[in-house]
Amino acid sequence: MTDASISVTQSVVEQFTERYLRSIGCSIERSDDHWLVSVPDDIDTEITHGRHTLIRGEGTPDNDDERTKRLHPESAFFQQLLREAGERSPSGKLSIESESDIESPEWIQNSAVEVQGAQFTPYYDRTAIVVLFRVGIETVSEYQQELLRAVAVDTRSEESLPKLAETFLETTTVETETATSGAVQLTKTDVRPLLETARELLLESVQGQLDDIHREASRAADSEVEEYRQMQQQRIQELQEEHSNLSSKIDDLSENISRGDEDSRVQALRERKELKSEYEELDETLNELRERRDSGFPKRQREIRERHSLDVQVTPLTLTEVEYERGEIDFELIDGSIHQTVTLGYGSGIGVADTVRCSSCERELTERNPLQTILDGLKCQSCTKER
Amino acid sequence: MSGYDLVDIEVTHESADDFLDSLSEDGTDGSHLQSIQAVRLQAGQPDSELRSLKELDENAVKLLEHQVDAAYRALFEMDGKALLADEVGLGKTIEVGMILKEMHFRETDESVLILTPAQLAKQWQAELREKFGLDFVCNYDDEFEDFDAHDYIIASIDTAKSERHRQTVLDRDWDVLVLDEAHYVKNEETDRYDLIDRLSYNYAFFLTATPIQNELTDLYNVVSLLRPGLFGTRDVFHHYFVNSNQETLVNRDELQDRLNKVMIRNRREDTDIDFTDRTIDTRTFDPTPKERELYQAVSDYVKGAYSQDQGQKLVLMLLQKEVVSSPVALKKTIEKRLYDQSELTHADELESILDLIDEIDTVTKQERLLDIVEEARDNVEMGRVIVFTQFRATQQQILDRLASEGYTVHAFHGGHSSSEKEQIVEDFEEEGGILVSTDAMSEGRNLQFCNILVNLDLPWNPMRVEQRIGRVHRIGQKRDVFIFNMALKDTVEEYVLERLYHKIDLFQQSVGELSSILSRLEESGTSFEDEIFERLVAANSEVDLENDFDAVAVDLQEQRELADKLEEFNSGVFEGFDLGESDD
Repeated sequence: MTDASISVTQSVVEQFTERYLRSIGCSIERSDDHWLVSVPDDIDTEITHGRHTLIRGEGTPDNDDERTKRLHPESAFFQQLLREAGERSPSGKLSIESESDIESPEWIQNSAVEVQGAQFTPYYDRTAIVVLFRVGIETVSEYQQELLRAVAVDTRSEESLPKLAETFLETTTVETETATSGAVQLTKTDVRPLLETARELLLESVQGQLDDIHREASRAADSEVEEYRQMQQQRIQELQEEHSNLSSKIDDLSENISRGDEDSRVQALRERKELKSEYEELDETLNELRERRDSGFPKRQREIRERHSLDVQVTPLTLTEVEYERGEIDFELIDGSIHQTVTLGYGSGIGVADTVRCSSCERELTERNPLQTILDGLKCQSCTKER
Repeated sequence: MSGYDLVDIEVTHESADDFLDSLSEDGTDGSHLQSIQAVRLQAGQPDSELRSLKELDENAVKLLEHQVDAAYRALFEMDGKALLADEVGLGKTIEVGMILKEMHFRETDESVLILTPAQLAKQWQAELREKFGLDFVCNYDDEFEDFDAHDYIIASIDTAKSERHRQTVLDRDWDVLVLDEAHYVKNEETDRYDLIDRLSYNYAFFLTATPIQNELTDLYNVVSLLRPGLFGTRDVFHHYFVNSNQETLVNRDELQDRLNKVMIRNRREDTDIDFTDRTIDTRTFDPTPKERELYQAVSDYVKGAYSQDQGQKLVLMLLQKEVVSSPVALKKTIEKRLYDQSELTHADELESILDLIDEIDTVTKQERLLDIVEEARDNVEMGRVIVFTQFRATQQQILDRLASEGYTVHAFHGGHSSSEKEQIVEDFEEEGGILVSTDAMSEGRNLQFCNILVNLDLPWNPMRVEQRIGRVHRIGQKRDVFIFNMALKDTVEEYVLERLYHKIDLFQQSVGELSSILSRLEESGTSFEDEIFERLVAANSEVDLENDFDAVAVDLQEQRELADKLEEFNSGVFEGFDLGESDD
């Protein structure tokens, strides 16, 4: 699925800022390296009212003040502007016009057969919703990732319309100044189930990325578990050494007890008692550690794996009701001296909606198995090759 | 270790209430479109980082901080029009490679024209391909048709300005123009200047270590091609920046500010480049009487044939080079000539040379090569040695000989595919032993893991020698490098070595210096190989020959001194200029 984000260059920043400020009622006097912006008092905006200077690009001033701000992809002012504009009108309506370029399917584009003409006859209007989702993926071992994805769903059939989502992205770049729009017809009740479908489609589409990150996170967790296991193993060895040292010290003392005079016997007895209790403590710790090791440190493993778990946050940011037209399209195909017209189901913004099969072998025509010839029906490349 | 399923994925769906509440609001004012755009921009990355960097193969190219910085500034702070004026040897080509790679990544490079001095064109092509994976057609390639037939072209500037191509070059709108050794367009009255002035392009990167050749006007001319108007008119520039009495700079700060908008100059002392030492061991050996006889016969034949027919120059030059490389290389060429060409004059002379070849049973150089590799086997990590020869036949014979002595050997020549070449270099690194290579081992191959190089025969073009050495003596080489040159006494090789290369200290030049000397030579219209050959065949006596070679050496020495002086002069002019970022 296509990335819906737009790279933020200086020229895009300026284009968007100017259009937005003017649209909310500000005036701008442009000169080479700065703009003078007037924000009238009656405008509903978080930008301070009054006159401002916007310095283009990075560089001085180092710090924005009330009246002088910098305008570049990472400037605080531009970020504030984006937040405001993004929240201003999160839902709305756009139309995908039927005059938009007709695109022939890949199985024709990739073939030697030429399209001489194409005629689209719309039969009925359809509606879809396009939702822009932000997907935040977080885990301790990886940088947090944020994706922006567009999902399009037909309002009536709830079918996924990936091509329409692409068309939507193409028609909403910063270069687009206006788009036919109007009030949203759909109600909350209409939208809720569609949104649910869109969420499911979204998760399907980012599954590959999630899997990759999941795999990395699991690997990181595994190595942490392994590291812990090794550390504990080393600790067990150290304790074992200490354990046997103590044991031989106790043995030595026992010998002294049976040999020495009374004073030293008492002293040795006292020492032996202390050492024995130390020995028992050590014994207990060691046994406990061994037990935990033999069961695979379950508690620690759980903690580690929980800490490495993936937190995926899906946030719908905008919802657009899109009107498009469905109908039929006639492609006039030409191959040498042979002409043929093919009629297919088609939608503005979604392209050819029908699956077409080879008239000879019944295989589906696709980008990889394109049309080979139109002599006696539509024949695919694979079956012509086989002959 | 398969805890894959034990790490959980938790998906949280944030509420959609915000926009569900806004559903009924009228959105006819276009603000919804702006909301969509704003959301998409918020998710976007600021578009001013070198995004292609992580695409580069770390084994193929080692980037240095000043190079990355220069590429970044040229692209983003200078809007893609920059004069890259680093001191020699700091890797200006790498900087341009990075710039082109980045433009390729961003798809802003539909057509790229790189203009270079003729003898650097192929080197540019190899470097861009091997270090950056960028494929260019060079005007010396067989597949080159014309300047409108390819989108990525490297050409000598003189080919581009020639009557045959000039109009085609000018008729096209180029996305990117790269001009190497940009100081050669300093003079506004030349055809070269005119060509660049008229070329249509969106982005341009000019390279030179010496923006100023004779006078400060040179700087004005070069910069004005890139950024017309940056310095105002010529007169204004002169009045404002040049003290006309002393030809020195005035208003330096102002000049620095303006130059900062277009020029990047890194100085060696400001970078962390440090080359290890190079030790040269030239070994000349007495040929056997039979070898001496063969050398004499071939030289006489070459001289005689050339005086009768100068059209055969290339093949005669080849014979003269082969006789000191190996009898087997010579034999192959002579046989080919004898059997392929029926109307050959002097066939009997060639036949008798073949007889002389057959009589040779000891090939001195090959025997002596064994001493070097044996020494290496005992003293160097994995006994790694690279042996260079110009000829495939010689290469094969050495390989066989070394293998029969029990050495691990690897062959590298132009006949391998690029993946095979990679494998060979990898094997050599892992298995050690001896890599016998022809000059097909070009720029970009990383062989710093080896520090001993043997020149079994010597190319007459010093640039070739430098390229060979550059394979091991480069940024990243941690040990001192040892170069062994092998030559037979009283042969052309001994002259080239003793009279030329040693006199100009070829083997001790700092990296990059040589190309500036040689482009100067080329500028004066001299082909080095031709020069050597002409002098060789024209000399009547040994004394003549010695004097002749001395004369060539003096020429070279002069060029070198000129190049040094220029460097010094430019350093002087730019001294005290902080031409980097001024924010630190």
